[in-house]
Amino acid sequence: MSDVAQNQFNIREYIRENLFPHFMCPGCGHGIALRALLNAVHDLGIDKNQLAIVSGIGCSGRVGAYIDANTFHTTHGRPLAFATGLKLARPDLEVIVITGDGDCLAIGGNHLIHACRRNLNLTCLMLNNEVYGMTGGQVSPTTSADRFTTTTQYGNHEPIFDACKLAEGAGAGFVGREMTLQTPALRDLIKEAIAHDGFSFIEVLSDCTEIFGRKNDMGESAEMVLAQKADFRSVSYGTEIGETFKPRGMKTGVLLRDDRPEYAMAYKRHNEKKLKQ
Amino acid sequence: MNRRVPLKADTPAASSAPERPTNVLIVGVGGQGVIMVSKVLASLCQELGYQVKQSEVHGMAKRGGAVFSHVRFGHTVYSPTILEGDADVLVALEWAEGLRWLPYLNQDSGTFIADTQHIVPPFACRNRIRGADSGYSRETVHEVMESVANSFALDALQIATELGVPKAANTVLLGTLSTALEFPVDAWKGVISKFVPPKTVEANTRAFEAGHEWALTFDRETRLKEWQEHTARFSAEIARSDVAVTSTLEITEAWCKGCDICVKFCPERCLAMDERQIAVLTDPDRCTGCRICEWLCPDLAIAVHTPASPVEA
Ligand SMILES: Cc1ncc(C[n+]2csc(CCOP(=O)(O)OP(=O)(O)O)c2C)c(N)n1
Ligand code: SF4
Ligand code: SF4
Ligand code: SF4
Ligand SMILES: [Mg+2]
Repeated sequence: MSDVAQNQFNIREYIRENLFPHFMCPGCGHGIALRALLNAVHDLGIDKNQLAIVSGIGCSGRVGAYIDANTFHTTHGRPLAFATGLKLARPDLEVIVITGDGDCLAIGGNHLIHACRRNLNLTCLMLNNEVYGMTGGQVSPTTSADRFTTTTQYGNHEPIFDACKLAEGAGAGFVGREMTLQTPALRDLIKEAIAHDGFSFIEVLSDCTEIFGRKNDMGESAEMVLAQKADFRSVSYGTEIGETFKPRGMKTGVLLRDDRPEYAMAYKRHNEKKLKQ
Repeated sequence: MNRRVPLKADTPAASSAPERPTNVLIVGVGGQGVIMVSKVLASLCQELGYQVKQSEVHGMAKRGGAVFSHVRFGHTVYSPTILEGDADVLVALEWAEGLRWLPYLNQDSGTFIADTQHIVPPFACRNRIRGADSGYSRETVHEVMESVANSFALDALQIATELGVPKAANTVLLGTLSTALEFPVDAWKGVISKFVPPKTVEANTRAFEAGHEWALTFDRETRLKEWQEHTARFSAEIARSDVAVTSTLEITEAWCKGCDICVKFCPERCLAMDERQIAVLTDPDRCTGCRICEWLCPDLAIAVHTPASPVEA
């Protein structure tokens, strides 16, 4: 067999096959994000024993459980806090956090801004499906305007968070966004995020087909995936409520790259200086 | 080269007006610089005192979609668009786009200038082997050159790459175009220098000169022979590579949840849902191994197995 064949990505080497089929609903975008992540890990040649996946609670958080590596399914909103402790104790590990829009921006919003501020070398994938999927479809901080959820029966009227702007503002070293429809691009973005030395935040535009999709009449799974590119998703995505809708107005790809000091290194240098005094 | 367009650069608008405007159609795909080429031409015409109308469509440009631009100039120009069969010059920055627009060329006297570069859209990929023919736009350069009298097929990308500026392939084509319209060479260069980044003026000037020179030394008979040989070589390659592509598709039925994504996204329409709502490959011969289904299956239920790349012959 040639080198090419040996290096071919075989996803089964990276998953816990005995847990399959996974629990996610038909068409759920989180499964596509899982593939992109594992392919990135493969391409970077990261040893599974050196990989730690820390996830929160939600359908997104559950994704981590299917990865054949060191996985840590933590509490709702707190995966970044657990990951911070883990990375400081075991800097040799590649620590990747998988979280959801509710997990990361609502209950865990505080942890997110401080993780960005510290700039510890972690990679955070926020799977944004605009909804609390796991608990049956409540409104989340990223639910687009006028969308129906179980807690917005007349359509959502709240302004949303632009998660990437939030991460940029809070000081993340690397910020990017990609949709599951563009899986190879998502894989490449994840590779760049992992390779970046500092806190990397990626917003993955995912789909909750069964709950959000049904409630909002967004068509079948395939239509929902395709709609990421078009009008559905961006009704108010990334814009203020009331602002006119800009199709394809959202930016994807690497949005920010800042080489400011990484937390653990800066911490070490600081301590050494103080101890000398 | 056939200097078809009967315009006098020194006495344009003032002289007796040409009967009809000159029509130049520029086509290509997003990112190639179609709009730059048309803007250079339009400004040049304007500088020389012509009335110019330009209209373009570049909706999908960013994603490598088709881009085209109509440039019409003359004493008086009314409509901004060129009718089918009415283009005096068709400049194609990409081969297949050139073929797509051929019906717009004036069949008797039109000049066809095309880069032989192929940019194959992902959904049209039939063969993943590097260097192999994609099966996209099957007409060979030789065939087209034989059927279109004034046709100039050149590998502009190659010419530009040899000059160390692959991005200036569009400027090479401008050089070729300049031999089809009787405008002073210096005027062309002047306008180009205004449209390219200051640091690349020198490189673009060289690219322009290379394209211009290529057309002036163009010898149809020799080129035809060259392309004929190329076609023969290519057909042999296709025959060989067709045998080599044998990707196989593996669907793990126990994992498939019947979401239909793979069925709807497969560009070859070779997947279907069976009565159990599980995806099945209905037409293995049509599967190109493009992996779109594999990428998008949320349940990781599809694996495309491709053989390792063949040993370079
Ligand atoms: C402290 C706490 N509060 C509330 C919950 C209930 N809960 C579980 S998942 C979830 C929301 C998940 O939403 P999101 O993070 O967007 O993930 P998704 O399921 O959409 O992927 C909530 C509120 C919980 N498990 N723990
Ligand atoms: S509820 Fe929504 S987010 Fe959760 S698995 Fe189902 S489709 Fe995915
Ligand atoms: S079955 Fe899959 S790999 Fe084959 S052509 Fe269709 S989408 Fe591509
Ligand atoms: S995309 Fe996957 S889960 Fe969906 S129908 Fe196809 S094979 Fe089944
Ligand atoms: Mg969610």
